[in-house]
Amino acid sequence: MSTLKARVLEDAGGRRTSFDEIQVGHSLGEMDWEVTPDMVDLQCNLDQDFDPLYFLAQEAARIAPPQITYRPPRWLFSRAFNVRGLFVRWEMETFGVINAGMKLKVSASIVDKFVKKDREFVVYEAEGRDMSGTVLFRTRRTHVLDFIERSAPREGAGVDSGIKPEKI
Amino acid sequence: MAVITRQVQVGYELPVISRKFRLEDFKRGEERTIHTDYEAAAREGLPAPVAIGPQVAALLFRQLRLCFGDGWFVGGKWDFTFRRPVFVTDFCSARGVVTTISEEGEAVRVNCDVWIENQKGEKVIAGTASGLVKG
Repeated sequence: MSTLKARVLEDAGGRRTSFDEIQVGHSLGEMDWEVTPDMVDLQCNLDQDFDPLYFLAQEAARIAPPQITYRPPRWLFSRAFNVRGLFVRWEMETFGVINAGMKLKVSASIVDKFVKKDREFVVYEAEGRDMSGTVLFRTRRTHVLDFIERSAPREGAGVDSGIKPEKI
Repeated sequence: MAVITRQVQVGYELPVISRKFRLEDFKRGEERTIHTDYEAAAREGLPAPVAIGPQVAALLFRQLRLCFGDGWFVGGKWDFTFRRPVFVTDFCSARGVVTTISEEGEAVRVNCDVWIENQKGEKVIAGTASGLVKG
């Protein structure tokens, strides 16, 4: 399926992070994240899911779709490493409702990396807590660094950097 | 009101949720990404722009929210593998079937095999999900 046989060397974010530079155990840090009503609107629009639970309650009681938690851990990954690649596995467990207006602390770390079918995979875990410290979700993500096999050389510039504005 | 109740049985087929995607569904302003731009995708070895995985997985989230209601928001679990790229104009359908049912405190956990297939019938996302059923 590949159309070019070279992995991107650099992009607008600088040189792409190599597999060897990503160390298991590396903390991706922590971020504060407020789930605004606008974010809930946008998430529902992206997903084309307009269940009344997401819209009809009072602002503070509006439920956010659990998948709204996708991006903050990805942002932490991108803050630490200049990677593009593709998302290949998403594990998640929800422990509490996330409401519009809620503030969370999200933290993450690299927990594994491996090579399979000549491609490089990195695994990170994250959890989100409310301001009282109660865990609301835990997630484990597997990310392949390149669609092109690792035996291909790195050369040239990519158009798309994995680093994006931090918005839903 | 959740579709799945304590009376659900192994083998129950979850409601099918489908969507025809468009390239515009993945645009964020003027950004040129592998999700919206042919050159950006080609530089990464992709033959065409690919859909944003979580936006495709959202078909399963709609299905599972419908099935479990509150038992999805608290106690919901999933493990999805993105098996092959979804292209930005693909037609995708979320499907699923109940595989096991187990006691969990005062609720029951209903475990399902779930997947999304494209217009060719290929499984593009596959995995498991579960939710809690109370009452």
